[in-house]
This record gives sequence, structure tokens and C-alpha cells, in this order.
Amino acid sequence: MSDIAKVQHTAESPQRVENVKFAMWLYLASDVIIFSILIATFVLFRVNNEEVVKEVHEASGLFLVSLNTFLLLASSWAMVMGLREIKRDNRKGLIRWIGLTAVLGIVFVALQGVEYTILSNEGITIYGSEFGMRFYAPTAFHGAHVIIGVLWALGVVWHAMKGGYGPKNYSGVEVFGLYWHFVDVVWILLFTLIYLI
Amino acid sequence: MATVTAPLPVGVGHVEGKKFKLNELLRWSVDHKIIGIQYMMTAFFFFIVGGALAMMIRWELLTPAIDLMADGTSYNQLFSIHGTVMIFLWIVPMMAGFGNYLLPLMLGAKDMAFPWLNAFAFWLIPPAGILMLSGFFVGQAEAGWTSYPPLSTLFSGDGQTLWAMSIHLLGLSSILGGINFIVTIKNMRPQGMGYFQMPLFAWAILATSIIVVLATPFLAGGLTLLLLDRVAGTAFFNPAEGGDVLLWQNVFWFYSHPAVYIMILPAFGMLSEILSVHSRKPIFGYRAIALSSLAIALVGFTVWAHHMFTSLTPELRIPFMITSMIIAVPTGIKVFSWLATLFGGKIHLTSAMVFALGFLSMFVIGGISGVMLGSIPVDIHVHDTYFVVSHLHFVLYGGSVFGIFAGIYHWFPKITGRMLNERLGKWHFIFTYIGFFFTFFPQHVVGILGMPRRVAEYAPEFQGWNVLISVASFVMGMATFILLYNIVISLRNGKEAGANPWRALTLEWQTSSPPPAHNFIGDPVPFKNPYGYGTKAAWEYLHKQEEKLGESVDALNVDKPASSVPAGD
Ligand code: HEM
Ligand SMILES: [Cu+2]
Repeated sequence: MSDIAKVQHTAESPQRVENVKFAMWLYLASDVIIFSILIATFVLFRVNNEEVVKEVHEASGLFLVSLNTFLLLASSWAMVMGLREIKRDNRKGLIRWIGLTAVLGIVFVALQGVEYTILSNEGITIYGSEFGMRFYAPTAFHGAHVIIGVLWALGVVWHAMKGGYGPKNYSGVEVFGLYWHFVDVVWILLFTLIYLI
Repeated sequence: MATVTAPLPVGVGHVEGKKFKLNELLRWSVDHKIIGIQYMMTAFFFFIVGGALAMMIRWELLTPAIDLMADGTSYNQLFSIHGTVMIFLWIVPMMAGFGNYLLPLMLGAKDMAFPWLNAFAFWLIPPAGILMLSGFFVGQAEAGWTSYPPLSTLFSGDGQTLWAMSIHLLGLSSILGGINFIVTIKNMRPQGMGYFQMPLFAWAILATSIIVVLATPFLAGGLTLLLLDRVAGTAFFNPAEGGDVLLWQNVFWFYSHPAVYIMILPAFGMLSEILSVHSRKPIFGYRAIALSSLAIALVGFTVWAHHMFTSLTPELRIPFMITSMIIAVPTGIKVFSWLATLFGGKIHLTSAMVFALGFLSMFVIGGISGVMLGSIPVDIHVHDTYFVVSHLHFVLYGGSVFGIFAGIYHWFPKITGRMLNERLGKWHFIFTYIGFFFTFFPQHVVGILGMPRRVAEYAPEFQGWNVLISVASFVMGMATFILLYNIVISLRNGKEAGANPWRALTLEWQTSSPPPAHNFIGDPVPFKNPYGYGTKAAWEYLHKQEEKLGESVDALNVDKPASSVPAGD
């Protein structure tokens, strides 16, 4: 037996892909913790103040936010389709679908702005409202994530238009997908906790 | 880089070795070695800043009345920034600096997994430091490093907002760095180095990074709410408007108790390296030390409320007392393993070693006072007194900072290619050790006698003790300049170290000092057991290494075959 082991380094692409994906998961793990603190402030309030929340629900209605939820789900689907296209070596398809993802994200943020305006007009603001602060903090933090995601999606589109990505080289799209799905899942959670129950 | 298989001519390492250039350190660089040095130098700058503030605190406390400071508020600002700077801008980035410099070398890798991200994480620190200090111009933060509301939300000046933004940036920097470390350790180990062949420092960085990635977000969440309370008019922490004042304490300590291990685990790791190398003995209980780091990381998440014994509902005290006792166990395992490592070893009292031994002695005292504080009856008596100040400085100064000093003496030759002056190192140690002891040990006594922490005015009967403490602290403060002086003169005139002056077996010594841009010429060959000191195989390995990399200083006198090859082997 030898005391000496041979060292080999693989700085190759598969290694890199694995690194990037693993790092993304670690990042999401820490992000989910930040979200859970913001969400926890809402949940604790919700448990103790059922009446207040019910009033808000009646005031705001479910239509707008349901539409928004649908849009975000659709954007996740568009994202999956984009990934499928690039795996089939169809860069145009990738650009179209990820472009759609970005557009849906923009509409989501815009509608969220509309909803914020409606609520503010009814007196539910981030300051001076026990419900308001706990509602705006997590949803706006989520909105910020959507905005970053939109920028990222546009980055993916831009990179693809310059000829980036291919059927063996799509980890950039995949990692963006991880992020986007994450943002989507967090929204489902927020929607359920804040609006449905 | 091409793989070199043929044996290299003697001295080639020296030709390729990169020298220490100041202008390179002021620029964006993605080389983990440069980034490591950038972290360390930035951190050391803040050590001096925080130290100057500490000297002012001690100057103020020479007399029972307020004299140096204008009023209580400015005294609050003084210790708030002292604590924050020392923790978030000195110890944490300093440890990240060691991690950055050493980890890829120890793993035989060319760099971290994400060099660009690494540089980005570092460059978040200088702006954060500037934000922190510029609070001085707009009403500095005054709520302590723990930043409890309502002081931090309803009262403190705009500096408190800058404080929170600064910590937010530092937290982001830590998280990005932590992710980088974890991925590097998981995926960049060379073939033939499993997790259990890694140097213990790498284990320490792994455990630290897990804590960083999972605990820092709690702080980030809390800070977000704190900032909203300050700037957006929310009332998350204000009970008068439907908030919860204990929420901050819970979130903060859920981060901050694990965070004390962010500050101490890397020092533990350095200690494992240094004690073994400088006593020429295999580390005792490798697996126990490695796994106890993970145990600490895990249990560290269950003890937070021992900082809240006096603010929590009494029923919750006992469970947290129990977990606080439990967490002393893995730490105790480490301490006993280190003692067993030393036992029967050929102990060389180098500067690195004396600081490591100093760490051991002081940290044990800090651990004992920790367990005392963890027991409710004691804590209720001494909470918010100087006893707590004493405890935290024994673990953070006697522990983390002594560890950093030991690490500097041990790795300076690798980083710069030159030895530090040993005689100055001893003086640095003696003054630091004695100054430290007489600064902080008497604080146990004044704490038990009832002197509260965080006050500028105190009862006159404590003055004698406080004068002793202040004088000792001035000695300790001055001692730091011996180290600085040593660094400056050694950079110019220090003895050329060569690749491996301590004859250590870990991979960072398997290349020239300082290492070339891509760390190794050819692929480094790890020794099977990174702590296999005192064996014939180790001696032969080192011998071959010297043939390849050229001669180096023999600082521990181990080359004489009679003393290093066990007879009859
Ligand atoms: C044996 C394990 C330990 C136990 C049981 C323990 C227990 C405690 C307790 C109960 C307190 C709160 C005292 C009070 O405010 O009344 C405390 C404070 C503190 N401990 Fe420890 N400790 C331990 C180890 C450590 C270590 C290793 C570090 C850092 C490296 C550390 C850093 C601190 C700090 C910074 C504070 C002060 C927090 C403040 O500013 O209020 N402790 N410790
Ligand atoms: Cu603690």
C-alpha cells in the first residue's frame, strides 16, 4: 500500500454545472429562512386576530390575486417549456418561452401594484395598520424576488439571442429555473396563508 | 495549467512564487490568495478601530463619573460600535480571510469553486464598514451590538439605520462566502482525500459555513423588520402598536448564538493544525474533533434563549438550560482531544504554539463561565453585569483572537515567504496574555459584586478594580503594536521561510511560499494522514517534498534524523 495518493483535478464543465446547482440550492435554503420569518409574523397575527383578517378579505376580494396566482403559475410553465425547447436545440423556442416568462412576471408585479393601491385607498397601509405591516412585508419581499427574476429572465433571453446555450449547455437556464420555481412556490404559500385560510 | 509529471528542478517554486505587492491588494482580484489577504488586512484595520474604541471605554471607566464622554448616550454609542466592529468587521471577516487563503491550498485545489463570487463577497465588506462608521456623522447607533428594541427602533439616531444596513451587507457577504466554502469542500477535494482525510481546519470551515448559511438569514429577516420599523413606520417590535418586542430577541439570538460558533469554530480548526504540527504528534481523536464541530453547529441552534432567561416566560428556562449544558460536551471533547495531542509530544514553544496554548487556557475559563451563565440561578444574579462581559471576552478574545494570532504566526511564512521574528512574537504573547488576564479576570469579580455592564457611571467602591482593569487593558492594547511592528519588519527583513518551515504535512505547505498563481506546480500529492507526524513515512514524504521544492527553514529542528525517525522503524 502506498502512502501517497494521486491528485487529479477536474475543472471540467460537468463539475461546474454541479457546483452551480448545488450553490443555488444552498442559496434558496437561506432565502427560504428569510421568508419564513416574514411569513411567521403574519401567521402569528392571523391566529390571534381572525376577525381583522376576515374584514380585509371582504374588502379586497379574491379576483385580482387569483388572476395573479394563475399568471405566475403560467410563467413557471413557460419556463419549463423554454427549458424543453433548448434541450431540443431550439434556441428560438427558448427565447420565446423565457420571454413569455418575463412578460408574465412583469404583469404580476404590475397587478400587485394595483392591488396595493386598492388596499391603501381602503386605509390598509404598511404603517399604522397591524394587518398592513404583516401583509406588505412578505408580499413586497416576494415582489422584489419577482422583479429580480424578471431581470434574470431577460438576461437569459439576451444571452440566448447572442447565441448562448445549446442542447448540451443549458445549465444557465436550469439554474434560473430553480430560482423561478422557488419564487412561484413561495407565492403559492403566501397566497394560501394570506388569502385562502 | 499543464500537468507536470517529471520531478521539478530544485528551486523552481521560488522562481514562480508571487511576491506580496500592495497595489495588487487594492484591486479587484479573483485569486483566493489575494482575496484572503484582502479580508485579513481589512479585518485588521477594523481591529485597530475597535481597539481604539475599547481604549476609550476603559479610559472613561477609570473614574466612577462621566468624564471622557459627553453623556451616557455617547458612551452607549462608543460600546455599541466597539462590539459591532469587533464581531462583524474583525473576527468574522478575519476568519473568512483564513478560510479563503487556506482552504483551496489545503484541498490541493487551484481556487475556490466560485472565484468571482468570492471577490464579490469580499468587496461588500469595505462599503459596509464605511456605512457603519459613517453613522458617526448622523447620530451613531447606540443600542449595543445586540440592538434590542425599543432602543434600536424608537430612540436611536439615524446611525442605527446605517448600522442595520451595514450588518445586512455583511450578512450577505457571509452567506455568499459560506456557500462558496461548502461547494468547494464538497466538490473540489482531490482524489484520495475523502472527508475524513481533510485537515481539521477544513472541517471547521465546513461546520462554520453550514451555520453561516442557515443562521445568518434569521438575522437578515430580523434586520429587514428592524429597518422597516425605522424607515417605513411599521411596528413589528412595538407592542404599543400591535408588535412584539421579544420577537427581535428571539430572532437575534437564534442567529447570534450559532454565530458565536461562526467566530470560534475556525479558531478551533487552526488550533487543531497548530497543536499537532508544533508538538510533532498526530492529532488525538481526529473523528471526534471533526464530528464535534458538526454537533456544535447542530446543538448551537437549540440554545438561543439562554440569553433571554430574564425576559422569557419562566417555564421555558429549564429546557434551554439543559441544551446549554449539552453544548458544552462537544466543546469539552475537543479540549480533551487537544490535551491528549499535547501529552507526550515534543512541544516546541514557538510563538504560534504559545498563543495556541494561551487559547486553550483562556478558552477553558470562558467555557466554565459559560456553563455557569447557562445555569439559571447564576444567570439571574449576574445577567447584564460585568460577569457576562468577562465570559464573552474570555471566549472571543482569549479564544477567537488568540487563535487568530496563533494562525498569523503559523501561516505568515506561507503567505509572505518570510518568518516572523520569534523574539518579538514572545513579547507580543507575554504582554497580551498578562494584559488580557488582568483585564478580564477581575471582571468576574466586579460582575458578581453587582457592577452592571453598559454604564459609564458606576458605584465608587468599584473604582479600584476598574483602574486595575483599565491599566491592564492599555498594556494589552499596546501589545498589538508589537505584532504590527513585527509584521512590518519581517516583510522586509524576515528570514526566507522556504516552502515548509514547520515541516507540516497538510497540502498548503506542499508548494512554494508564497504559492504561485495557480497554487501548485503540477498536482500536489497529499500524504495519507494529514497528521501522521513522527512516522518514518512522514519523514520520507517531507524529504521528497524538500527535494522538489527546495530547502526551507527548519524552525522546529526536526530534520535531524535521530529525532524524527523512530528507532527501529
Ligand atoms: C460552554 C458553552 C457556552 C455556554 C453554556 C454559554 C452561555 C452563555 C450565556 C447563558 C450567556 C448569557 C449571559 C447573560 O446575558 O446573562 C452568554 C453570553 C455570551 N456568550 Fe456564551 N456560552 C458558551 C460559550 C460561548 C462561546 C464559545 C462564545 C463565543 C465564541 C460565547 C459568546 C458569548 C457572547 C458574545 C455573549 C454575550 C452576549 C451579549 O452581549 O449579551 N459563548 N453565554
Ligand atoms: Cu449563547
